[in-house]
Amino acid sequence: MQPWFHYNARVVVRLQWVFLVYRLPRDPSTPRIALWRSLRRLGVVQLADGVVALPLDGRTKEQLEWLADEVIEAGGEASIWVAEAGSAAQERALASRMAEAVAADYRAVCAAARSAALESAAGRRKTLRRLRRELRAIRARDFFPPSEAAEARRAVEALGQALEASA
Amino acid sequence: MRWATRRGVHVDRAACAWLIRRSIDPEAEFIFVDDPVEVPSDATPFDMRGVELGHHGGDCTFETILRRYRLDDPALWDLARIVHEADLEDERYDAPEAPGLDVICRGLSMVRDDPEVVTVATALFDGLYEHRRRALLLGRDPA
Repeated sequence: MQPWFHYNARVVVRLQWVFLVYRLPRDPSTPRIALWRSLRRLGVVQLADGVVALPLDGRTKEQLEWLADEVIEAGGEASIWVAEAGSAAQERALASRMAEAVAADYRAVCAAARSAALESAAGRRKTLRRLRRELRAIRARDFFPPSEAAEARRAVEALGQALEASA
Repeated sequence: MRWATRRGVHVDRAACAWLIRRSIDPEAEFIFVDDPVEVPSDATPFDMRGVELGHHGGDCTFETILRRYRLDDPALWDLARIVHEADLEDERYDAPEAPGLDVICRGLSMVRDDPEVVTVATALFDGLYEHRRRALLLGRDPA
């Protein structure tokens, strides 16, 4: 867990955020869909139509910059901004929204791992591989790990251990 | 010739520097900058925003350089598959090697400065290239 996630009333250190502000023509739809997929993979939080944000680090800024270039190449407009929330409450709200989004993804993994217990050994092995991949993808877009993160990891590893025990 | 790229070299830039020295300019000298405006006029910029040798049409810079310089060695393109996924993780290719290469490069850049990362990565990419070249010849991964 990132050490800066331990939010409480006394935390005064404010995060920096990188914003991608963009406008992309409605047609053709292919670049819009490709952009949307990339944004989802990165785990952005949407603030308004055409405004998405990520906590700032070298990697997130670079990734959003490349997407800005793609928007421009597709005939749209895009700019990159580094910003700070105006208040701690505003920042907390943003972080909670992002944590809630990945929490839902972790819960889906948890549920899939538990219902896999009823499958055949071959089916469980396949599900295990898929869920491990899925967990890696969620972790890559998880900036504020919720409690569901550890739970999902445990559920998937329990599936692996049960398979090993039965082998 | 002088070549310029962004500071904080990661997998795509390390692979590009290796590719430039290996296939385009053996005497290549690399400069690392914070902002595109700092690129000297006699240097060719790569893996930076708004330059020819950058990301285009979903390609990472390594792929852009292969296309731009018409490097069609299949082993280089197989390496491109791994570099693309290590850099972008967009599942365009199946590259189980990519997460490993990604963390190796991230770790390297934590303990070495940019020129050293490029130097160390030379051996890394020489080895990866050789592995993929033999794999293509054999039709399976070499022992």
